[in-house]
Amino acid sequence: MLEINALQTRIGDKEILRGLNLTVKAGEVHAIMGPNGAGKSSLAYTLAGRPGYDVTSGSVRFEGADLLALAPEERAQAGLFLGFQYPVEIPGVNNVYLLKAALNAARKHRGLPEVDAFEFLTLVREKMRLMQMDEAFLSRGVNEGFSGGEKKRNEILQMLVLEPKLALLDETDSGLDIDALKVVANGVNSLRSADRAVVLVTHYQRLLDYIKPDVVHVLARGRIIKTGGPELALELEARGYDWLLADAA
Amino acid sequence: MTTSSITAPSRAPTNRDENWKYANLRALSRVSFDVVPSDQTTNKVNFELPAKTTECRLVLVDGQFSSALSDAPPHDAELKLDPRPLQIEGVSIDHHYLNLNRRARHETLQLRVLPRQSVELEILHVATGSGQPAIEVQVESGAELTLIERHIALGTATAATNLALDIRLAEHAKLHLARWQHYASPAVYIETLNLGLGVSSECDLTQITSADRSDTVVSSRSTVFVTHAGEGAQLHWNSAVIADGQQQHDAYVRIDHQARRVQTHQLFRGIASGRSKIGFNGHMLVGASAHGTHSGQSLKTLLAGHEAEANVRPQLEIYTNEVTATHGATVGKLDADLLFYLLSRGIDPGTAESLLKWAFVSDVLTHLPSAELRHQIEASLVRQLPGAIAARDSSAQEKDR
Repeated sequence: MLEINALQTRIGDKEILRGLNLTVKAGEVHAIMGPNGAGKSSLAYTLAGRPGYDVTSGSVRFEGADLLALAPEERAQAGLFLGFQYPVEIPGVNNVYLLKAALNAARKHRGLPEVDAFEFLTLVREKMRLMQMDEAFLSRGVNEGFSGGEKKRNEILQMLVLEPKLALLDETDSGLDIDALKVVANGVNSLRSADRAVVLVTHYQRLLDYIKPDVVHVLARGRIIKTGGPELALELEARGYDWLLADAA
Repeated sequence: MTTSSITAPSRAPTNRDENWKYANLRALSRVSFDVVPSDQTTNKVNFELPAKTTECRLVLVDGQFSSALSDAPPHDAELKLDPRPLQIEGVSIDHHYLNLNRRARHETLQLRVLPRQSVELEILHVATGSGQPAIEVQVESGAELTLIERHIALGTATAATNLALDIRLAEHAKLHLARWQHYASPAVYIETLNLGLGVSSECDLTQITSADRSDTVVSSRSTVFVTHAGEGAQLHWNSAVIADGQQQHDAYVRIDHQARRVQTHQLFRGIASGRSKIGFNGHMLVGASAHGTHSGQSLKTLLAGHEAEANVRPQLEIYTNEVTATHGATVGKLDADLLFYLLSRGIDPGTAESLLKWAFVSDVLTHLPSAELRHQIEASLVRQLPGAIAARDSSAQEKDR
């Protein structure tokens, strides 16, 4: 589904990713861990097409297509979803507006007609129940006045409504209490299927207690320096990153 | 300055005058108000008028009251046509266009809301040629008026309007004033608004200025004087300008706090697209006797065109220590982070920008006192903010289900 080959990026003059390789197959959940400043969020932003993250070399293929040739909205329409570490607030644009516009953009890309109003509302209500969100959130501005936990739930709600092929979740667990973490994890798990994939960027093993990864990577100094199974996350929790960084050096 | 002094000759303002720096004076100077519309013009408009927003509507065509197109006034209000020009006291500066209006040979429309009564009313100004409407509104003690004041231009020629509007609120009176200037054809619009607030009176004013299309040539200039004359008076000012093409809109708003414990909350939002120009000069004056005044000012404009121009200027002039005053003014572009967030959800750039522009003015739109008016305003913005309106319309339908 996703093939990243020798990807190098920079922000301004600063080199961020330095020859990163990563392959994610359909049906898999990958966790990317690593120390602060390793380039984890930069990887997510680069894949989503954020302006300012300049790709200097390498390639990214998503479902066989050249992802880097697509504009940010085209990447999303093609089935890539970025769950933000810090979701922005947009007062004046209601959540329901955003969800409807985003869903219809994806449907248009797939050659489908705009979603029926009743179907849409039924779908959104079902997903909100799963995320234990009050319907009142729908008529509020996007993330406006939401707590940190509510914002993260809202990200997952958007993901569930849009049903992307590949979800990149950037520190979705940060700022969540245990109960909220379970709700968010439940939402992510509900999307798991043989034809989808999830990439979790996280600092903590605790998220992986609820979302079981198939593969765990350590990203440091702009590249993947180690890959393993779920046991790698436990080892990192116990030992930190120093031993790996020393090896990589 | 007294009433008599207003009629004294006054020179036309120039862009060297501090309060007229950003006005499109070239457009204003080309306007002639010499032609007084005939009764036939006034009572017959060959265009379809927009749907009413209140049960009772008064219509003025090119400044003249049209009895044929107007409804009977509500029972709780008195309406009369005074053959004398508008009597405004206390306006000490920027009175050139007010004088011009006073010299016009037509009547002043006088509306009086009786004490402790509640009235809803729409005044529709239709501009087909040139006109100088003069209106006086008195809201008596304890009365409440919801007034929707709309301006439209019809026809293909450039319509010109020079409005003089005087509104007085007696003690404990309330005014919900929604003003909408929307132009489907070329127009030059000038106005002088004088608003006097009595003891414990409350006024919430919402004003929207927009045009049907980006290529509609429109220039407007508002000169506004508000006086907090009575203790405990409150003003909530919310105005938005959505400009595109070569449209130019400029406003000078002086709010004079002259009584104790008065409050002003002023919010201005402007979007300048294309090559348009927006100016807003918010002048807050707190007099020596206005102890306990609270004034807040938030002036923001969005530059959404490479050649667009926006000038916002907050001015605070305070002559007492017992006052809380806040003000902020910004001129900026669409927030790149917000834009990327919407793009990352698959929304195309045009719709995403529309949504953000919509969000920018929504602070003002939410204050409109009439759902019907709000609906009409939103519908009128379809060409300028297409994606946003579509999203809003469909969502509103869903919420109703």
